Amino acid sequence: MAVRAQFENSNEVGVFARLTNSYAIVAVGASENFYSVFESELQDVIPICHATIAGTRIVGRLTVGNRKGLLVPTTTTDQELQHLRNTLPDDVKIQRIEERLSALGNVICCNDHVAIVHPDLERETEEIIADVLGVEVFRQTVADNVLTGSYMALSNQGGIVHPKTSIRDQDELSSLLQVPLVAGSVNRGSPVVGAGMVVNDWLAITGLDTTATELSVIESVFRLGEMAPGGAGGAGPNKESIVESFY
Amino acid sequence: MVDSTRIEELLKRPLYVYDLPLELLATLTAKSGNEPLIEPTSEATLKDSEAAAQESAIANSTSCALCNVSYHNVQEQRSHVRSDHHRYNIKAQLRGNAPLDEIQFTKAVGELDESISGSESSESEEDDADAGTDTTLTALLKKQAKLSESNEEDETVAKKSVAKNPLFWLSSSSLPSNKSLGVYRAIFSTAEQDEPDHLVDTIRKKQLTPVKARTSKNQVQAPTTSSPHIFMCMIGGGHFAAMLVSLAPEIHRKQGGIEDRQARVIAHKTFHRYTTRRKQGGSQSASDASRGAAHSAGSSLRRYNEAALEKDIRELLADWRQMIDSAELLFIRATGKTNRKILFDKHDGQVLKQNDPRIRGFPFNTRRATQGELMRSFKELTRVKVSEIDEAALAAAAEAEAAKQKQDSKPSIPRPQQQKPKLSKEEEAALLHTSQIQALIRRSKVPALMSYLTNNSITASFTFQPADSPQNFRCPTPIHLASNLDAPAVVTALLVRAQADPTIVNNEGRTPFELAGDRATRDAFRIARHELGESRWDWTAAKVPSAVSKADVESRAERERKAAEEEETNRRKAGLERLQKEDAERAALKAQQAQRPGGRTLGAVEKTAAEKRDEETRGMTPEMRMRLERERRARAAEERMKRMQGR
Repeated sequence: MAVRAQFENSNEVGVFARLTNSYAIVAVGASENFYSVFESELQDVIPICHATIAGTRIVGRLTVGNRKGLLVPTTTTDQELQHLRNTLPDDVKIQRIEERLSALGNVICCNDHVAIVHPDLERETEEIIADVLGVEVFRQTVADNVLTGSYMALSNQGGIVHPKTSIRDQDELSSLLQVPLVAGSVNRGSPVVGAGMVVNDWLAITGLDTTATELSVIESVFRLGEMAPGGAGGAGPNKESIVESFY
Repeated sequence: MVDSTRIEELLKRPLYVYDLPLELLATLTAKSGNEPLIEPTSEATLKDSEAAAQESAIANSTSCALCNVSYHNVQEQRSHVRSDHHRYNIKAQLRGNAPLDEIQFTKAVGELDESISGSESSESEEDDADAGTDTTLTALLKKQAKLSESNEEDETVAKKSVAKNPLFWLSSSSLPSNKSLGVYRAIFSTAEQDEPDHLVDTIRKKQLTPVKARTSKNQVQAPTTSSPHIFMCMIGGGHFAAMLVSLAPEIHRKQGGIEDRQARVIAHKTFHRYTTRRKQGGSQSASDASRGAAHSAGSSLRRYNEAALEKDIRELLADWRQMIDSAELLFIRATGKTNRKILFDKHDGQVLKQNDPRIRGFPFNTRRATQGELMRSFKELTRVKVSEIDEAALAAAAEAEAAKQKQDSKPSIPRPQQQKPKLSKEEEAALLHTSQIQALIRRSKVPALMSYLTNNSITASFTFQPADSPQNFRCPTPIHLASNLDAPAVVTALLVRAQADPTIVNNEGRTPFELAGDRATRDAFRIARHELGESRWDWTAAKVPSAVSKADVESRAERERKAAEEEETNRRKAGLERLQKEDAERAALKAQQAQRPGGRTLGAVEKTAAEKRDEETRGMTPEMRMRLERERRARAAEERMKRMQGR
């Protein structure tokens, strides 16, 4: 399922939210519109947490996480950390990282198995990422950009990279991550795919400006909606029965 | 042949870029090597982005394009990506260095080990292997950073000589092949610079016919705003100089029919205010901003002066608005925030816009902002440089460059630390003498220079050390330097008293005389020729023209001064006459108006002298008022005195 949303007139959904397979973090906004989009899709499935990080609302850019854990920058206050701990499931490890590049969401891009990180990240950070998130860490660039988290959106099903990524780089990255990748854009041509959307294994939320074409690319590469294993168009186990019921 | 000698003759005179001799102009061609190198754009990326079609299968290209290696399976690929080699290459790529292949990388690390082992081994021995490689990688990257910095410098220098050369070089078929003419790129508009192929045509198009100087007969000639002109200004350290100068040269006819071309200054103005802090330097506002406002008398003076300078400059620019708006180019030197703010900050009646495409800096070093400096800059900008290049030497240099680049392409080989050769005692002494003598010549301290030379028993033909520095390249001897700096007194002293050799040529193959920039200096050489006699030196080799006596020069100067004075009085007289005429006309008009019936207009009530005085002193402090009063009385007393004497 892919939905469009807007955070207070901003299309950069990935800036104000972090979505994983076991929880979602949403920035505290003036209205609950943005939150309710998440609520309508995720209620009773995973916990949704209203939070700030270091007093800011750009939670998506400052944090990084997956099913197993959540990393927050050193600027996070103790209260915020406590709140996160209280809200998120107990099996999610939360760790504060002392890292010079403090916008973790911009420099790290991960799913539940692998992480692509900024080449200049410290060695200790790399180890913490591997331990807390339970992933293999690779230092790589995306289309010669060091901000892997900004220019790449990744789930366990697939990933979108910066539209200018060369085919060869896409192939290498895809082989490294063992997920299909596609070069694409969100929000009517924005190359900042990581910050323009959030995605997990069954839901993608993009900016309100995202075109139908962009949305269809997103749905197909992340195997959401019709293309999903459980969806009508996919090749999942349900397909047979659906097809049968048509006749 | 005759033609070429004629052109040779032409080259001896300073060439003005907007008034080049016709025979030279017709044969001008752009020199190759002017065009900036256009890097071939990789078509692959274009194709790639086009072909970024949907693909939803996991690709299995288990290779690394960056490190140029391929692997059999994903595990190998993954372990490569996590290796130091790959991480090094990523960082090198981001930094713009060439990536290394496996062998080069191990070699580089090995060499690094040798160089750092002394300091590192004792501490890092107990560290686990991982941390060990990490430190080596960091060390290698650091080292690479240093290397690449120096590389970068080289590259920028190389680039400058190719793409961003401030001079545009031209050659001419009527010139020997090793001679080329240089024109500053800055004198072309941005659009013209974008098309380097048409610059020669542009120069041809821009030629202007010189304007005859105003003679005493037709002095009524308004400054023609329509003719192409440029605006130049410099601000710095409380000095401000601005000038509007016409590009069409003006021809002054001197006695004996000699035509002398001069730049025609439409308007010029300089201000100086005390704004920089004595001894500490820097402007008062900068100091205020950084450590809070000081409350000393000096600081308030400087603050006032800064404001006043800003006001003066802005008023001046507003006055010149029309001319500045129509100017072809704006040459502006204003370094520092305060100075730029004066010109470009938003204010009422702002004249200069920061993003004006006509604005450019001076493509050479400039000194204190004075009228003379502006004039020098104008001459420098518009004079065509003649350079003689030895093609063979050039080819050799290019070869050396290529060889060096070849070496650079193997960054794994660390370049040996360039060791400064130990200076011998004599060399050190020579260096000291060089700096001393150059300082003395710069300040035109003739007696001090003479005594320094005699005390240290240095001959006047002493060559400056080190010989390869750029300055000493052009001016290797004191006489060259003095001539280049236009210091006639020093030139005379060196030639006549210190017996300096005027036939020595510098590395550009020029004699001291050829470096002289103004007539006074050239005259100094000719006088020296007269005083020393024809047999003392080979004056033709020194390229010094025929001798003249000092008396001759003086009388000529006197004549010129007189002529100028006469012209000035004539001009004044004419102006006065015109004023009188205007006055008369105005009086007539007034009389006509007075005849008309009707009362006075409102608000035009005649004021008595006391009222006027009162108005003047309004708003002044009592002290100021007192001072004004005192001054007025003094003036009145003086006036009385004068009248008494006159009687």
